[in-house]
Amino acid sequence: MFIELHNISRSFGGNQALIDVNLHLEMGRVGLLGPNGAGKSTLIKILLGILAPSSGTGRVLDHDLASAGIALRRAIGYMPEGDALVPGMQGAEYVALAGELYGMARKQALRRAHEVLTYLDLGDARYRKLEEYSTGMKQRLKLAQALVHDPPVLLLDEPTSGMDPAGREGMLDLLVRLGKEHKKAILLSTHLLGDIDKVCDAVIILHQGRILCQGPVRELCQRRHDRYRLQIQGDPTGLLEELRLEDVRILRDNGRGEYRVQVPADWTTQAFFKLAQVHNVVLRGLQADDEDLEELFHRVIGENPNQAPP
Amino acid sequence: MAGLDESFMPTLLHYRSWQGAFHSSWWTVWPIARVALGTLLRRRLFWTLYAFGLLLFFMFFFGAYLLAWAESQLSVTQQQFGKMADPGRMIRGIRGALRILNGSQDTFQYFFAYQGGIVIVTLSLAGSVLIGNDFTFKSLVFYLAKPIGRWHYILGKCIAVAIVVQMMTTLPALVLYGQHAFDDWDYFWRVDYFSASDTGKGPAGIVLLLAILGYGTLLSVFLSILLVAAASWMRRTMPLIMVWMSMFFFLRILANILVDGLKYDGRWRLIDLWNNLTLLGQGCLGYPWEDINPKPHPEFWEAGLVLLGVTAVCLIYLNFRTRSVEIVR
Repeated sequence: MFIELHNISRSFGGNQALIDVNLHLEMGRVGLLGPNGAGKSTLIKILLGILAPSSGTGRVLDHDLASAGIALRRAIGYMPEGDALVPGMQGAEYVALAGELYGMARKQALRRAHEVLTYLDLGDARYRKLEEYSTGMKQRLKLAQALVHDPPVLLLDEPTSGMDPAGREGMLDLLVRLGKEHKKAILLSTHLLGDIDKVCDAVIILHQGRILCQGPVRELCQRRHDRYRLQIQGDPTGLLEELRLEDVRILRDNGRGEYRVQVPADWTTQAFFKLAQVHNVVLRGLQADDEDLEELFHRVIGENPNQAPP
Repeated sequence: MAGLDESFMPTLLHYRSWQGAFHSSWWTVWPIARVALGTLLRRRLFWTLYAFGLLLFFMFFFGAYLLAWAESQLSVTQQQFGKMADPGRMIRGIRGALRILNGSQDTFQYFFAYQGGIVIVTLSLAGSVLIGNDFTFKSLVFYLAKPIGRWHYILGKCIAVAIVVQMMTTLPALVLYGQHAFDDWDYFWRVDYFSASDTGKGPAGIVLLLAILGYGTLLSVFLSILLVAAASWMRRTMPLIMVWMSMFFFLRILANILVDGLKYDGRWRLIDLWNNLTLLGQGCLGYPWEDINPKPHPEFWEAGLVLLGVTAVCLIYLNFRTRSVEIVR
């Protein structure tokens, strides 16, 4: 079992940050979603053994949350959101220091630092001062320091923050690979739903200190009969105007001729083809579509507005 | 492979798993201290100040040879001229001036006092590099997110500062001690070396060696905890210099004004932290309480109590300060 929490609550004075949190997660890639102030940071602190819960019990990787703070952090590679760099150090020194802080012997830590940096494509930059690293390189460096002791679990806080699209894609591919090929359990906390969509196979949605839903993304997203994906070839302006007049909502336009639409109850798919013919465009693709993660998030939050603490 | 730095292609090497034993968290104290020291030792300013300290050390080191030469010349002139003439007057003057370099408690008391001034200046400049930057650049998150406690971190930083203090005080003092011991092995073996030969006062031998180590330990323990607390409070160099100098120079001047100028009770010298340190240091070196200057001054236990109190306040502050750092935002 990756994470097992029973009725975990945490309060700060009169403020309830977490309320009766119950979690049962098997090893895998899990996304942690929630608006600001939802209790994500508090939950991560508890999972890292930095903060003790006010009540409730729990285990992470068979370590008891109440007593195994240091042992817990040794089993987890944590990538913080902020820079958290030591100025004046070189990349290899920094990652090796992380290894030593995890308890590795100096020589092993140094050797492992070089391996991990090379794996993360920072081999050429490992002797550069940290101040000279770009934002994307810093993110990879932070991942390297979390990975240096080869932990079974990676706890990543906004791992793609500040990265360019190519760097972000690369980072997400890497996380998927670490999870699938190297069996790393990943808990990914991010505001970017796309990151979770790409990397995670399960999600936890946290709101006002409570877990609103948890489980595999595909199971949580509702099957919808009013959503379609359209691929249009030609000038779509007229067709889109017509669709709007027919009460079809354009949910997403990716700018490359692909659209996600929501149709009214009495709509038939034949209508798409008829309208396409009228407006002289080719409908190259038409696919029924289910709720995506963003819709799931908004639906779950919307169904639970302002849950006041008991 | 153009644009490799920014495009992300993690395919150069297959990920390799690692299996090995982990050391206990106490082993992490040394890497923390080593990295802090490494950051400091890369600064030219530190080596400049260290060079000043070395100049002082060399003055004591070679001054001892000058004293030995003056002693030998004095006996030669006395044999040659007897009491009728006094050509050795100048040499006697040199001898008198250099007498504190004879390896007795005076030698080490003066050495620690002079060297202490340079240590204080060095620490005021080093504090932000050793500790303050961890707060300014949020490196503390990097440390505390690892399997270590906050006391491991604080201990690591204190050790780094203590090593700097020891490098500038105890280490050269031990070299001076060794110089005298190699010159005359009785100096090392006989505790009553000075009283027996009437060339100085105070203990010699192993007692003096332990006294030097005690004085050095006192300085390094107190100054390291105080600096770590002050630097985690002030963080930046300039504010830290102002606070540090106020503690060691302004309070000293104030204590002198109160006690010497306004004739307040000698206990007012307790606000002078450096005076408390030297008072206890001289106690370590075997000075009787009544022989210690400046007079009047507080008792040894009073000075010790003040230093203990300041240390306790610093540790309590450090506990709160490191606890308030948000590791996860």
